[in-house]
Order: sequence, then C-alpha cells, then structure tokens
Amino acid sequence: MTETSQKTAASAATAKAPGLTFAMVLPWIIAAVFLILMPYIFTSNSAITIMNKMAVTIIFALAYNMLLGQGGMLSFGHAVYMGVGGFACVHIMNVDDFFANLPLPILPLFGGLFGMGLATIVGAFSTRSAGTVFAMISLGVGELIAACSIIIVAFFGGEEGISGDRTYGLPFFGVEFLQQIEVYYLIVFWLMVSTLLMYLFSRTPVGRMANAVRDNPERAEFLGYSARSVRFYSFVASGFFAGIAGGLFAINYEILTEGNLNLSASGVILLITFLGGVGFFFGPIIGAIVFTLLQTVLSLQTELWQLYVGALFVATVMYFPGGLAGLIMMHTPAARLGKLKLLLVPYIKTLIPGILGVFGIAALIEMVFHARHGAVGEEEMTLFWITFNTHGVLPWIVAIAVTVVGLWLAKRNAPEMKECWHAANTPDGSAA
Amino acid sequence: MLARGKYTRWERSMNMQQGTAPALDLDGLRKSFGKTEIIRGVDLKIGRGERHAIIGPNGAGKSTLFNLITGRFPVSGGSVRLHGQDLAGMAPFQINRMGLSRSFQITNIFPAMTVFENVRCSLLWSKGYKYSFWNLVARSKDLTDGADAILEQINLTSRRDLPAGVLSYAEQRALEIGITIAGGADVIMLDEPTAGMSHSETDYIVDLIRKVTENKTLIMVEHDMGVVFGLADQISVLVYGEIIATGKPEDVRGNPKVQEAYLGAALEEEH
Repeated sequence: MTETSQKTAASAATAKAPGLTFAMVLPWIIAAVFLILMPYIFTSNSAITIMNKMAVTIIFALAYNMLLGQGGMLSFGHAVYMGVGGFACVHIMNVDDFFANLPLPILPLFGGLFGMGLATIVGAFSTRSAGTVFAMISLGVGELIAACSIIIVAFFGGEEGISGDRTYGLPFFGVEFLQQIEVYYLIVFWLMVSTLLMYLFSRTPVGRMANAVRDNPERAEFLGYSARSVRFYSFVASGFFAGIAGGLFAINYEILTEGNLNLSASGVILLITFLGGVGFFFGPIIGAIVFTLLQTVLSLQTELWQLYVGALFVATVMYFPGGLAGLIMMHTPAARLGKLKLLLVPYIKTLIPGILGVFGIAALIEMVFHARHGAVGEEEMTLFWITFNTHGVLPWIVAIAVTVVGLWLAKRNAPEMKECWHAANTPDGSAA
Repeated sequence: MLARGKYTRWERSMNMQQGTAPALDLDGLRKSFGKTEIIRGVDLKIGRGERHAIIGPNGAGKSTLFNLITGRFPVSGGSVRLHGQDLAGMAPFQINRMGLSRSFQITNIFPAMTVFENVRCSLLWSKGYKYSFWNLVARSKDLTDGADAILEQINLTSRRDLPAGVLSYAEQRALEIGITIAGGADVIMLDEPTAGMSHSETDYIVDLIRKVTENKTLIMVEHDMGVVFGLADQISVLVYGEIIATGKPEDVRGNPKVQEAYLGAALEEEH
C-alpha cells in the first residue's frame, strides 16, 4: 500500500474500466474479517480492553496523519479535538431524556461533529500557513484549551473530569453495551468506517491537493487552488475523525479528564504517528498497534517502559524516518524482483545478535535500576523469566557478555547484510 | 461534473467576449523593493493570440515583471488587466482561475508525485472539481483521459508512473509546461523555458511550446535569441525596469536603442 504503487494500481485499473476491482477491496475484507475474529483468538477481558484502546488510538492516529503526513501540517495540539469530542459525548450521555432515545452507536458521530466544529473555528486562522507558524498556533491553542479544562469546570469537570454511563442509551437491537465485547464491536465498526472514509478522502480532489500543497504550496496556488483553503478542509476533516475517536473513547472508558486533551496527549499521538510512518496511509495503524502494546504489555513488565519507547522513537527519527511502515515498504523492490529470500539468512545472522545485544543493554539498565531503587533487603529480581541476585557478580558478567557478544556479532555481520541487500535490489542481468 | 466543467469554460469565453480588450494590459506598472525601484513604469499591451517575448539584460526585471502580473508579488503602482479585468489585489490562484497560467524560471513541479499525478492535479480546478471530497479522482474518466492526453502532447507517456523528481532536467521542464497548459488557460506565461538546456533539448522544447500554445496568447522571458526569433511574433525589450522598444522581431533587432542597451549591458558585465 505505498502511495505510488497504490496509485499506479488504481490508475491502471481505471485505464481499463473505472470501477472497483477485487484487488482494491480485498485488504478491507481481510481487515474486517480479522477484526471480527480477534475476540475469538484473544478471549481474555484484558485482551479486549487492549484491543479497544488500540482501535481508538488507530482512528486518532490516522486522523492526525491527515494533517502531518497528507497535509504537511505539524500539530502540537491535536488531542484537543479528540478530547472535546469525547467531553461532548459524555455530556450527551448525561442528558438523560436525549440519551435515552439515542442508540449508543450513533454517539461518536456527535463527537465527530464537535471535533469538527472546534477545528472549523481554529482552522479558520491557523491554516493560513504551514510550518512553524501553524505548529506554534497549534501549540498555543492546545495549551489554551488544556488550561480552560481546569478553569471551566462546568464543561470539563475540573481535575477529576466528567463521567457518564453508556448503558443509559437506547438499546440497539437489544444490545445495551454492558459488556466489553459489545463495546469492542461498536468500536471496530467505527474503526472500519472511519478508516475507509479517511482513505477515500485521500483519493478525492481535495485530498490529492492536500499532498500537492504539502509538497509545493506555491505551485498549487498557480494551479488555481488556494493553499490555505486546501489546508483548512484537511484540518476540518481531521478534526472530525479525531472527534469520532474521542466519542469512542468516551464510550469505552465513560470518563474524560484533562489528561485526554493536554499537551502530553498531543505529544503521544505525534510520537505514535511518526513511529508508524507518516509517508504511508497505513503507517499510523502500525504505530498505534505497536505503541499500545508497549504501553500495556511492556508497562506491566517494567517501570522503565517509557525509556524504551523514547529510545525507539529517537532511533526511528534518526535511522528510519519512514517509520515502521517505511521499513516494511523498503522491501517492495526486492519483493517485486522475487529476491526477498536472499535477505533471510543475513537478517537472521545480523538481527538476532543485534536484538540480543539490545536485550543485554536493557538487562543492564534494569539491573542498575533495581540495584539502586529496589526495596531494602530485596536483592532478587526477575528478568526474562530468570530470577537472580542483583548484588552478585555473575548476573552482571552474563549481561555484559551478552551485550558485547551480541553487538559484536551484529556489527561483524552487518557488511554481509548490506551486500545481500544490494544484491536483492539489483535486477538480474544488470551489472551490479 | 461535465456540466460544471462547461461552466468554467463558458465563464472564460464570457471574459473573452468582453469587448476587444487585449489579453494583457499593463499600465504604468511599478514595483519597488524598499527604496530600489525594479520596475519603473511599464506600459504594455499584448493582443490575443500574440506570441510575445520579453528580452533584456540580466537584472532588467523580467522575472519581477512576471511575478507582478501573476500575483506572486503585490504591485507598488499602476495596473494589470487580464482580458480587460483589473487584477489588483488578487491572489495567484484567483488569477489562475481567470485563465492565466505560468511556469517558473527554476523548475517548479511536485517532485514526489508521479508524472501522471502532477498533470492530473493541474487539471482538477479547470475540470470543476474544486475542493470536492465526494469524488474519487481515480474514478473520473474525464480526468484520467485528460491527463493522459496532456502526457501524450508533452511526450512523457512513457514516464507516466515515475516520480517526477527522477526525470531528466529537460523532461522536468517539459512536464512543467504540461502542468502550465493543462488547466486550459488561454494566456500562457513561460519564464525562461529553455534555460540550462543543450541545443537538441532546446529544439525539442521550442517545438513543444509551439505545439501546445497554438491559438493561445504566449508571453515568455527568454535569453536564447534563437528561441526568441523562432517563436515570437512580438518582442519587448526591458532594460532597468523600463520597456525601451516593442515591435516585430526584425524591427527590434534593427533598433539602435536596443543594440546600445545590449552592448552596454554586455560591456558592463565584462568589467
């Protein structure tokens, strides 16, 4: 699903007959079936909780990427639109007479409309230019509304936030959304709808021009398009889908606080989107999945999980700015040449020692942390399913040895991987 | 969609029917940057269907003149009229919608997009799609066929699905001309279309320009006199922000003022 390959696929299809082809619909069908089956594979309650969180984050990250990736607008305050959509939905839940007549699955639409309304107001002045000015306005507005959330208690509920009860809504074909699994299917429905709509948006005239304005606003102006208007429409659409994510958040957690729209929430979504890859439509999806897993699973294992996420983010920015999606799509030329198998052995030989080395470093960090901050008298720690005494010498020697050997092996085998990479990307017949 | 497309064309033809106003009419046009006056009162009328070249030594203000006409810079004084309509205070996109399109001295395309997509983007407004988010571009036969026809015209069909940024310099220049004419504007302004090209590339671009600007008003800045005399039927000479001569190529060539200005400028450059 790279931008170009999909475009060419789409245009090749239209050259013959404009219309839907099976190849275009297939990924969506697979995704839908996959999402429907997920609760049967991961049946535990905590798994469903994680999947709900993931799905909401995916919608928000995709909405954010309409700005960052598609429109070239770096926003530091996008959590505001999700937050306001969510707060609005909780308020609607609390209007008993109205909510009793509203089927819960419709509620996120209101979140979307509130997000869009706010985006219309803010976008009217913030989209005049992209770049630093836009980023600074987004930061200012984000901070402004986050500050309001503590001051305007009637709407934002002060520090404890506001809460509601989703089950007071009109039963939807007998479903009252008492159980997590029912909420899961509601969220998944909106996930599919929003993702499809956001994808289609990127294929419309205004969506294509958003790319054009991102790449070269001046040229776009001389083709009859106002760069500002193009940005504005993207911004409003992004606000709408962020609001939908907010509405789903409200349904899932039944509470919203200042933490949902402050700067750190905005920072997290930027991190997720960038980690996944801004250059591809599906990048933010990967980012949201990976981040949510790290946040929920890794945080159970270690208090230092944010350190690792931060290191991963820095590594992404420095070494693969295309994000995880870019890393995957890097392999399309080799795949097209049918030479992916050339890469398998060198990958194993380089990456496995590399990963071991990274684990070694992580072990050292954890051991230092435990030795320094562990409770007095508690000298045992469990790491990678091994329990040992951090005050002994042996664990340290093992960890250092694993790190050194792992990194050394990876470094030694890296040139070979590079060579194979080159070979895999060179068509047969042409001189290497 | 078709109906909306027709409407813009109809609008344009209405503009053209507004009397016999020249395609472009500059009246006492001035531009200063700070205290420095770059354009010092330019009066120029360019008739419909004319192929008008603006020549002059380096630093005469040719590109500035282009930027004033197309709304890239605000004017300091005087007026610009397109088909009799004053362009004062209009943004580039509004001027473009009135049927004036331009290329740039330094190649100005969308390098990350495919060649096809570059052309398709430049068709969107004139085909009436505006800011619509309820049409899918790939499903419009009108757009696909239109863009492919332009690619055929500029001989880039074989490059259709490549990112524009990987094309050769001459191909990128050809693409930019394609983008410039795609919207169907009837006044085409080209800023040094052959700058930095080899002889054969220049010949290729000149043929291309001749082909795609048929029945349109062409205004171009050009340094290559071979190109100027090959393409233009009217020439204006701009020296230090003023037009010192306008006329048919052979008249301008024989004009002593022009010879002096060119010789003078050439001498100055040598010192």
